[in-house]
Amino acid sequence: MSLLARNALIALVITIVLIGTVAYALSYLNNARIAELAAIEDQLSIDTLSLDTQFSLLEAAPCDSAASSTAFTGTLADLGDRLSYAESQLGTDNPQVVRLKQHYSLLEIRDYLITKKLAAACKTKPITALYFYSNAGDCADCDRAGYALSYLRDTYPNLRVYSFDYNLDLGALETFIALEGVRRSLPAFVINEKPFYGFTSLEELEKQFPKGVFATTTGSTL
Amino acid sequence: MSPEAFAYPFLFIAIFFESFILVTFLSKPARAARARTPNTETPAVAVIVPCYNEAATVAGTCESLLALDYPKEKLEVILVDDGSTDGTTKAMARFRGHPQIRVIRKENGGKHTALNAGIAATSAEIIGCLDADSFVEPDALREIVPCFANSRVAAVTAAMSVHRPKNLLQHMQNAEYTFGITLRHTLASINGLYVTPGPFSFYRHTTLKEIGDFRYGHQTEDMEMALRIQRAGYEIENAPRARAYTKSPNTIAKLLKQRTRWTTGFLRNILGEYRCLVGNRAHGALGMLVLPTALIAIGGGILTFSATLFNFARHAMAAAEVRAGVPLSYTLLMRGPFDWFYLPVSFFLLLGATMLVASFSLIVTGKRISKTPGNLVLGIVSYAFLYGLVAPLWLLRATTDVALGKRRQWR
Repeated sequence: MSLLARNALIALVITIVLIGTVAYALSYLNNARIAELAAIEDQLSIDTLSLDTQFSLLEAAPCDSAASSTAFTGTLADLGDRLSYAESQLGTDNPQVVRLKQHYSLLEIRDYLITKKLAAACKTKPITALYFYSNAGDCADCDRAGYALSYLRDTYPNLRVYSFDYNLDLGALETFIALEGVRRSLPAFVINEKPFYGFTSLEELEKQFPKGVFATTTGSTL
Repeated sequence: MSPEAFAYPFLFIAIFFESFILVTFLSKPARAARARTPNTETPAVAVIVPCYNEAATVAGTCESLLALDYPKEKLEVILVDDGSTDGTTKAMARFRGHPQIRVIRKENGGKHTALNAGIAATSAEIIGCLDADSFVEPDALREIVPCFANSRVAAVTAAMSVHRPKNLLQHMQNAEYTFGITLRHTLASINGLYVTPGPFSFYRHTTLKEIGDFRYGHQTEDMEMALRIQRAGYEIENAPRARAYTKSPNTIAKLLKQRTRWTTGFLRNILGEYRCLVGNRAHGALGMLVLPTALIAIGGGILTFSATLFNFARHAMAAAEVRAGVPLSYTLLMRGPFDWFYLPVSFFLLLGATMLVASFSLIVTGKRISKTPGNLVLGIVSYAFLYGLVAPLWLLRATTDVALGKRRQWR
């Protein structure tokens, strides 16, 4: 074999090894992302159960579990951000992403119900926004709506935002959508139990919230 | 399909080529070339300095040649004034009467005619060229001469770098030239060179007589000559420690003009008279690997740049659309501490980074083997951030010129 052919062959092997290493490193990073999501998810499952149990234990004084509920919602929002990023990296059809989204949606519904229970028991009026989106290509304004809602959530910590993929194959979510009476006209919002469809601008979205909600900014992030 | 996908084949070829350079660099012929020691033999040498309006630098160029460590009676410097209209004639006048220097003044006819005038005026065994904006280290000629020991060697190239780089653009070119030192040294070991650059390339006089004088060569007479040497079946060597420094363009406009000339010259020569070399097994590495890769690199450079630009514009527009109406204080500020989870890595980005790291290693190698002084940090940084942005501009301009048959002035 000539020197040229030998060197070209070795170079080809090196190239394949390098590209293989890059592909492996990327896959490793994505698996690490999934593992991190799963770890947060596990923690949230324990927290949900803990909050539920706490609520049951403190039947007489349920409001004592309100602080735990607020911290839980913060962690849930962080998981939502990570899940959304992982979805953009790994694709919406990735089975692990879909499974995590299903679990995440369940946790959200659970938190929403606990928040409502706490509000009834403690006579508080939390501001909640349910947001339904689709990334199946049938919702042109969903990205803008999602970003605007993230801004509101990050800027006004008293606001509790729950995002749901309308097309997610999950029985509990379908029941939830039916109970909330959300039509398939996306993006859809349920703000303090009042449905609202479409997104034009941040100002327009802000108008759907009760007056005075956005009067003060704290700058803190959930 | 994502636009990035179009760039993958070119990234693959780029990484393959860099790997090939690395493997060949470690192979026996290249190691033997690096082990070559300066020879005690001193054949008669003439160095031609073609000048056209080089009043500012020609004296410095000439003095650096006179400072070469070589027997004075064996070294002749031929200054050829190609009808300059500035003070070049006056600058040359001070060297008249010097025993080693001959001054020729002629009508302006282009660089190749100036070189030919110099060749016609000497009977030296080895003839070199040095652009009038370039300078050499005193031991450079001692490194060049031993390469002619092999009778098949018709030309020898030096190790070029940028003379006193000042701005980022020049530092970028310095890194690129240093990369070229490794490339030239490695490819020479498998006779894969297709250009004998103006700064300090040497030719065997007998070969020049056989294959003929310099030609216009689509404004790249050095490339045309090298291709003619290769076509005739001779070899082109490289002396990696023969250091030559050249002035480099200090503005993007000047750089674009220079590189467009080089690239159009390459395309016109390769797609024209020397098409027979491409893919020709008889010409080994040059025909089967170097020339095809150089051609692919031009197309790949344009396509990869276009794909990256398109992707960037697409993402930027989408991001601007999504963020419309949300206060800038929120959209522009990073929230929370750095988190590896959000590291924006992709296959395209990692492959690009791999290619860049390989390039850096070849730049550092070039500096080491040539023992070129100076710091390359600024060069490597500017190369990483600038080269990918400006190189596609001249590639695009050159291919457009060739496609449309457009000819530009040298200066």
